Amino acid sequence: MTTIRMVDPATVSGKVREIFEVVLRRERVVFGATEVSNIWRCMGHSPALVEANWNRSRALMQRGDFTPLQRELIATAVSIANACHY
Amino acid sequence: MRLGVDETGVTELMGVTEHARALATAAAALLLDSRDSETGLIAPLAPGEADPAVEALLAEIAAWARTAMGTAEPPVLWRILARNPHYLEATWRKDVALMAPGGLAARDKRRVALGVAMAARARYMIEYHAAVLRHAGDTDRDLLEILGVVDHYTTLNTLSEAMQIESDIRPPP
Repeated sequence: MTTIRMVDPATVSGKVREIFEVVLRRERVVFGATEVSNIWRCMGHSPALVEANWNRSRALMQRGDFTPLQRELIATAVSIANACHY
Repeated sequence: MRLGVDETGVTELMGVTEHARALATAAAALLLDSRDSETGLIAPLAPGEADPAVEALLAEIAAWARTAMGTAEPPVLWRILARNPHYLEATWRKDVALMAPGGLAARDKRRVALGVAMAARARYMIEYHAAVLRHAGDTDRDLLEILGVVDHYTTLNTLSEAMQIESDIRPPP
């Protein structure tokens, strides 16, 4: 059960719409998503939050010296250690 | 999985994660503040105090520490565990087995372990894993890259827990 209603990607506008389009393009390539994932949809009511976290996601997960796999291994381990089901 | 890690790699990742988390808990429980800490909850075994079997194990750990960390002594964590030979042996053997290269490279496993220690805010184990990585050639920039991933996933984990969102990402069929 989700705490709040997640935004419908079809109804968002402005900056959120712009970012969701980029996110979906990336998620389609990365894990075959057909819709923007829940983690981004749950931020959708706050454009500032979506934008700030997307910028951090790009800065920390898409740039750097490591391979995507190396970063993803650490990310997965941290999520397990934090007992994060998602 | 999509990045080319098979079931073996994923299972190794789980193993390194749970092991690193358990060690972080142990080190924090022992009140080890830093790698130089000798004043934790339990005093480390002094050289010559152990029976021959434990001495042999500590010598093996010291040899590893020389190669992997560039230090002469076995890390204090292991010298404390040495007060219970079964605990020491089972934990050290597990460490050797899990941290060895396999489906994942040894350095990638160590970076994972550092990330887990960072997420657990376990000072001693952060220093421990970072010392191994620096000895292998990791730079400040590399350590900061690890922290960046830890930091960002702390964000995402917090959000997903707060929002109690359901996973919509499924393994490939």
